[in-house]
Amino acid sequence: MIKVLKSGVLLTIQDFGRDGYRHLGVNKAGSLDPFVQIIANRLLNNNDNDAVLEITVGLCELEFTCDTVIALHGADLQATLDGQAIYPGWTYTVKNKQVLSFATGRAGLRAYLAVKGGIQNTEVMGSKSTDLNACFGGIEGRALATGDEIPITPYYGEFIKVGAIAPAQRKLIRLHPSPHANLLGEPLLNNFVSTAFKVSSNSNRMGVRLEHKNNLAHSHSLPSLGVSPGSIQLPPNGEPIVLLNDGQTTGGYPLLGTVIEADLHQFAQFRPLDTVEFKYVTFEEAAKAKQKLDGHLHQLSLALKNNL
Amino acid sequence: MKPAPHIYALTNSSLLLDASHLDATDRLSIQKKIWALTSHCRSTNEFTDLVPAMNSLTLYLKSDKHLNKWLQVLPTLWSDIKSSTFKGLHHLIETTYKGEDINYVANYHNLSADEVINIHSKTKYHVLFLGFQPGFAYLHGLEEQLHTPRRDEPRIKVSKGSVAIGAEQTGIYPADTPGGWHIIGHTDTALFDSTSEQPCLIQPGDTLEFVPLVNKGATHD
Repeated sequence: MIKVLKSGVLLTIQDFGRDGYRHLGVNKAGSLDPFVQIIANRLLNNNDNDAVLEITVGLCELEFTCDTVIALHGADLQATLDGQAIYPGWTYTVKNKQVLSFATGRAGLRAYLAVKGGIQNTEVMGSKSTDLNACFGGIEGRALATGDEIPITPYYGEFIKVGAIAPAQRKLIRLHPSPHANLLGEPLLNNFVSTAFKVSSNSNRMGVRLEHKNNLAHSHSLPSLGVSPGSIQLPPNGEPIVLLNDGQTTGGYPLLGTVIEADLHQFAQFRPLDTVEFKYVTFEEAAKAKQKLDGHLHQLSLALKNNL
Repeated sequence: MKPAPHIYALTNSSLLLDASHLDATDRLSIQKKIWALTSHCRSTNEFTDLVPAMNSLTLYLKSDKHLNKWLQVLPTLWSDIKSSTFKGLHHLIETTYKGEDINYVANYHNLSADEVINIHSKTKYHVLFLGFQPGFAYLHGLEEQLHTPRRDEPRIKVSKGSVAIGAEQTGIYPADTPGGWHIIGHTDTALFDSTSEQPCLIQPGDTLEFVPLVNKGATHD
């Protein structure tokens, strides 16, 4: 078990999240950075979809009540194990009673902690992920709190330390074209791609809000349409919202486009005041970017196979 | 030429069929085709999610290999599909019409509370689509006589099971949530239960009606 001594800013259990329920208004939930989840799990020889802890900002403290092996990845939130610094990208053997503490970091927002065998909370609607809005999944459908006990399976075997880097961070986010290009008009869209946005502090797992000094305001309202993680909504006030995993399933704002799959995980790590810019790309470019990311994961698997 | 829906590739693995411009005066007829199309697409087993919204359908593919095929076949499917091929379920929602705002709604329209109940419960509503929160149904069919502007100040908490009116819509809150609609009643019918085999009672395309419950011994005055 892992005991939560201090829950910090936002500590949740996540896996890939839920598919197949969007028509009922149920969002995806799940790790905002699924690639980092995959890497952390593969380092432990886990399944890609094994549940992990998503640690936002840090400031949390966890005590292990059994032996295990962990993999830490994502943002460097200055973690220590019994006072010794540990680093994202590596596995660590953990003994019963050891305490893992997170301070906070200078870059990136979310760290991911995988444990050997994955977190063992009960699956709800096909996933162990926490749905913070509808309050189910995870543990009692909420963020973890001080005193919670997170179920894991002890592991006493030998484990050779391994490490892997994550895909590079980028500030220039690639987009699929807007289905509402005619409605919004070319001048507005040109304005959009030439704007350097600042991430608003009013951002969360539902969406990242973007601030700027240009004028993107409009007066269009649309009949509700399906939206998903990566959809960029433009409300009439002109401040775009990039929807993330906890976002609604339908919405009535025009869309500026959709973030390509290969770049969506970048939004897991943007902090308030970080700069973000956008660029429209073709479907071929989007597919290539995805292939490159898959290639990164494939190489990791090969390297781990040769190592073990 | 017959008016056609707009069809877009949103990503390498998702598409939008937008029929919202076809006839804004007859949303229900178009929505019936959306339901029939959804049902057909579901039967192909090629999608992870099919999300009907207001006169549109967003299709999320399991594999991006099938994107071009669906871009090509959707226009034909739309023109060939018969809305009658889809039949939803009908639900009876037992409702106690004693909401905090029922007198407000009655006064606003110069009606008695009983008249509000009669009008609200005699209609068969269509579930256009779900959204906003799990199990929240956007219903079609509220009589114009009961259209009531939303509250100036939304409530911080509207309790689970509240039956409410907001502008030209009526609906049921599946969970406690902030909300700006006028609460006219309450139902104990569970709309969303994540632990159930079928987590949502109501599906897009279903119909429902509200059945007034009168407490034994109590009378309306």
